[in-house]
Amino acid sequence: MTGQRPSTEPLPGWPGVPVPSVSPEGVLAVDHVARWFGNVVAVNDISFGLGPGLTGLLGPNGAGKSTLLHLLAGLLEPSAGSVWIDGQRAWGNPRTYRRLGLVPEREAVHDYLTGREFVLLNARLQGLADIDAAVARAIAVVDLQGAADRAIGTYSKGMRQRIKLAGALVHDPPILLLDEPFNGMDPRQRLHMMDLLRTMAAAGRTILFSSHILEEVERLADSVLVIYAGRLAAWGDFRSIRRLMTDRPHTFTVRSSDDRRLAAALLADPSVFGAELTDGLLSVRTSDFGAFTHAVPRIARSESISLFELRPTDDSLESVFSYLVRR
Amino acid sequence: MIASMPIVGVTLRGLLGRRRTLLMILLVALPVLIALLVRLADSRMDVDRILDAMLVRTVLPLVALVLGTAALGSELEDGTAVYLIIKPVPRWRIVGAKMLVAAGLTVALVVPSALLTGLLIAGTGPALDTTVGFAVAAAVGGSAYACAFVGLSTFTSRALVIGLAYTMIWEGVLAGLLEGTRFLSIRQATLGIAGGLSGQPVEQGSLDPGLSLVIVVVAVVAAFVLGSIRLARFEIRGAD
Repeated sequence: MTGQRPSTEPLPGWPGVPVPSVSPEGVLAVDHVARWFGNVVAVNDISFGLGPGLTGLLGPNGAGKSTLLHLLAGLLEPSAGSVWIDGQRAWGNPRTYRRLGLVPEREAVHDYLTGREFVLLNARLQGLADIDAAVARAIAVVDLQGAADRAIGTYSKGMRQRIKLAGALVHDPPILLLDEPFNGMDPRQRLHMMDLLRTMAAAGRTILFSSHILEEVERLADSVLVIYAGRLAAWGDFRSIRRLMTDRPHTFTVRSSDDRRLAAALLADPSVFGAELTDGLLSVRTSDFGAFTHAVPRIARSESISLFELRPTDDSLESVFSYLVRR
Repeated sequence: MIASMPIVGVTLRGLLGRRRTLLMILLVALPVLIALLVRLADSRMDVDRILDAMLVRTVLPLVALVLGTAALGSELEDGTAVYLIIKPVPRWRIVGAKMLVAAGLTVALVVPSALLTGLLIAGTGPALDTTVGFAVAAAVGGSAYACAFVGLSTFTSRALVIGLAYTMIWEGVLAGLLEGTRFLSIRQATLGIAGGLSGQPVEQGSLDPGLSLVIVVVAVVAAFVLGSIRLARFEIRGAD
């Protein structure tokens, strides 16, 4: 079951992002991976490589984020392709769990254990030498010392997330996978978790966390994988992907004191490439979000037209993702 | 063995929840209560008949079924098993630890029940051999049941229903009608061992004690091997 990829061999067919040649610690490699359940394709021919740093796995609910994370964690067998953890096959290879920590999305934890007992269980199963020190350190990292001796059954959602993280961290793994880690956290806990992940990434860990909230990924991740309908829609540096998202064609509906004259004036602006007046409703298409939103009030003022409403019609995250896939 | 201790510990804690423990104690107390009533009423009953009917046919498979399917199956069902699976621990160790706990608890519950029931019915006279024989057979049969149900729970989330159908329909009805099916019955093997130890067959056509022991060993080994293979390939789906 266990396979070893030669460290010097580059992984085939990887676009874009440079992949550290697979021997260093904390490297995740996904090579043309697909996974289907019956007739449903959950993950469709995805390839990428990740080295140390903080990466966000972004996509709407049901996009295949959890399936991809479970494939990375060796909890699902790929229907096609392969997943490599530090050069070792992830599926059917429990030894990779020495190098990997996983925080699953499901809330279920052994409720009858105290937080400390849960982390201790994880430490023992990892076969650590100095168990007590490792447990104390992991609990301190997630700032749960005060509640460590309470049963997990009494914990809030956010505390559960943190004790799950402590369990995943106790063996100090170079790779950390987190499935929707901010779910159920209050703003303070969210900030704390973000700081924690930043610190751990700065210490050289490879951290991949999933989220369906753009702002969370924007605030935290250096790079991003965007997944939509099981496909990798975009990946790489977050700023360039953000630009792609912003610069895509947008459609706005506009209501003003004189829609016909405003449409004519807007069409003269280079940021606008189309305008339609249908049933008394003006829709304007632009390829430059930023320039357009600056141009509209300027043009309206110069034409002495009053603007009543300016509304993007396709600004849902869903439409952003679907645009990225189509590109 | 030492590497499996954390799994043994957490499984014990999980299985000994207040409600389940109370239910199990009530179940194993049932034959003892009936024996006590028989004793108080000064009635005469054969000790092997009551141990066969109350313990081997009823309480033993039920206790092993509840504990065997809960030991691993409930964790696979609610998702907490992921914390055992994502560890550098061979999966056979997980299955082995779960079987050890389920079998150990079953033995700890049914053996005292068998001994107390037998002693209340027949005292320490010549029937003591029968009582001890049933207690030992209950320990061996209970372990086999528990291991089989742990193994079964790695294959299906409906292990409780399938296990109940096995004990009630296959063992309860078919094994009585079709003699050939007795070789696939842990209950028949348990009765075979009890008969061998007490010096007389429990019923006509009982299995040979040696063959009964072989059946039990095959059941335990098969459950362990198949359960370990299954858990090694067990998949946990994500939320999407």
